[in-house]
Amino acid sequence: MRKKINPWLAGNIPLLVAVALPAALFLSVLVYFAGWAITFSFTDLETIGRKSVNWDWVGLKNYIRLFTRQGFLQSLWVTVIFTFFSAVIGQTIIGFLLAVALRGKRGLLKTTVEVSIMLGWLLPDIVAAFLWSASASQTGLINRVIIEPLGFAPINFMNDYALVVVIIANTWKGSAWSYLLFSAALDAVPKEIIEAAKVDGTTPIQRLWKVVIPMIRPHIATNMLFITIWTFTYFPLIYALTGGGPGNDTNVLAIFLYQTSFDVHRLGYGSAISVAMLLIVGALSIFYLRLLKEPK
Amino acid sequence: MKKPTVLALLPSLALAGSLMPSVAMADVSIMYPEFITALVKPGIEAYEANTGIKVNAVKMPTVGYEQRVAVDLAAGTAPDIVVMDSFMVAELASANYLHPLDAQLKGWDQYKYYIKSLLSVASYDDKVYALPTDTDVRMLWYDKSVMKKAGIALPWSPKSWDDVLAASEKIKAQGVPYSFVLPAGTKRAEATTMQGVYMALLGADTPKDDRNRLRNRKEGKWIGDSPALRRTLELYRQVYVEKQLTPASINYETNVDAFVRTAITKHQVGILASGSWEFSCIWDCNGVNLPSVEERNAVLGWAPWPGMGRADTLKTTNISGGWTIGMAQSAKDKKEAFKLLTTIFDHGNFSEWTVAEHRMGVRTDITESPEYTQDAYLAKATKLAENTTSRDTFPGYNVVTQLIQQATGNILDGMSVDDAITEYKESLIDEFGEDQVIVYK
Repeated sequence: MRKKINPWLAGNIPLLVAVALPAALFLSVLVYFAGWAITFSFTDLETIGRKSVNWDWVGLKNYIRLFTRQGFLQSLWVTVIFTFFSAVIGQTIIGFLLAVALRGKRGLLKTTVEVSIMLGWLLPDIVAAFLWSASASQTGLINRVIIEPLGFAPINFMNDYALVVVIIANTWKGSAWSYLLFSAALDAVPKEIIEAAKVDGTTPIQRLWKVVIPMIRPHIATNMLFITIWTFTYFPLIYALTGGGPGNDTNVLAIFLYQTSFDVHRLGYGSAISVAMLLIVGALSIFYLRLLKEPK
Repeated sequence: MKKPTVLALLPSLALAGSLMPSVAMADVSIMYPEFITALVKPGIEAYEANTGIKVNAVKMPTVGYEQRVAVDLAAGTAPDIVVMDSFMVAELASANYLHPLDAQLKGWDQYKYYIKSLLSVASYDDKVYALPTDTDVRMLWYDKSVMKKAGIALPWSPKSWDDVLAASEKIKAQGVPYSFVLPAGTKRAEATTMQGVYMALLGADTPKDDRNRLRNRKEGKWIGDSPALRRTLELYRQVYVEKQLTPASINYETNVDAFVRTAITKHQVGILASGSWEFSCIWDCNGVNLPSVEERNAVLGWAPWPGMGRADTLKTTNISGGWTIGMAQSAKDKKEAFKLLTTIFDHGNFSEWTVAEHRMGVRTDITESPEYTQDAYLAKATKLAENTTSRDTFPGYNVVTQLIQQATGNILDGMSVDDAITEYKESLIDEFGEDQVIVYK
């Protein structure tokens, strides 16, 4: 059935056009940026030098480079590990467990936990990077307070376990979002249904698995959608914390893209990387959006 | 079909704008990295006092500064006057982002003092696009107390790479965490290429046919594989993988320079591959609360970088760079912009900064002044400049330098020298074509 235009708006065509203009402008800006990246991914455009002025079309060369040259596939693998463990596993599980544990609670404990995880979320990425760098270095807090008092030799976590450190740092930083979303979702689960399940003799695990999780499934998918997109393209914390190193240990796609575009100044190749990232994140988004649909 | 580049670069500008503070244009504007404040700021103040024109100055952190310069100039939004590393000048000038200064320089009475050979780093196609602030030399700095603790005789004067590695191992045995800091990886950017790779490379084979360089300058081709490149990467492998003289992570610290310099003041570094600026910069590049020369000499010493020790290699190596100040092509009032430039480089201000910061002078009215010639540190460091060379600032260098930085990063990752060289060579061929890359057996 065709949707009818609001009669008040239908009688004010100039107004209708006026209010539609900002939306059209906004959409065209979005399309322009994506279109720019796609177009120049087929060129050898550079930021500086002669190729910044006299660039050429190079066909699929940049896309072939993604698979034949060092960098993209390695960074993709690092990004997948980083996203899976820090977002899909870390942030989701910690956020969910905290939301379940604190559900219905009041008082100092809940306030303390909420303030603590919110602080991590609100702290600027650069400050967080300095804090984690100072804590995980060979002379950092973790060694001074935990490792050395236990009689072990200090460990340079930033050297030996850099990817683990950035995964933990991002889990710490991003769990607040999942917690807030799951808290709201759990609050929306009617208490009567939980009570009914109790009366039916279910265990807490059964209630969680068979009653609560199916009811908040759309929220889980929404959470996964957002944190996957954010984490897959995340840049500042990792760049400030490790710069992609040591070696290429933490060289996620966002850093590889930045290095290619602005260190090496190859904007054409950088555009191809960004288009590839767009496609990957788009595919993941479609997967999550399908999860959002109610089962038939 | 070619489209206007400024239009093409708009998204880059938007990205840069979202990451960094924007430059609100005034009558005259300038952008500079924080380490050079002591030269630029008094120049700006003098210009404002002389002309009554407000200067919109943007001071930036050194990390990421090169990227900011490139993006702003490409987008046509750069300030009128831009401080930049000399290696960028040719690339920026070839894209017509910089304004040639020759015509204006002819009318400036102090231009005649610039040492002509040093202007080459700021020139392109026989035109001068910027004025150098200083030149530099590179050396191995060492902590005297750490050396004594390790039982190494002072003054330390290594004759080969083996001497350097042996000293570093002795230092490591004393529990010093960073016994030999050799810049590596992409985060160190030009520091990796200049303070690390090139200083080793120059001493890794005979200079004949440029076998000890990244480029054969006579043939105009990049060198994709050579014994010198392999020996240089092997040195990296020895330092970071085989002997583990320093954790690789030091090259990826949040603020690498600050971290390294703080570590030095805490006596956690044995040997540091760096340059002549460190005589100030280890404490403060802008000279604030700088210890006296005697106090600094008591803490630190330096030795020339030795060649690897073969009969046909250089005894010591050196390569010089330096920073420059130029004018953006987009500068609206080029007359006023040039006035700001020359006020910064006015003899009084420039001379005071050069001597106070122990920088290597680029003008004879400064280098021949009593204050300069009587500076013992500068006199000794200047001797290194007698046998120096400069980097291969030909179009394409920006890619080559990043690829060689990546090659050192690959070594840190545990990749073999063979594989790292193969990767480097194939990347060069991919970038420039097979006919532009040569191999030395």
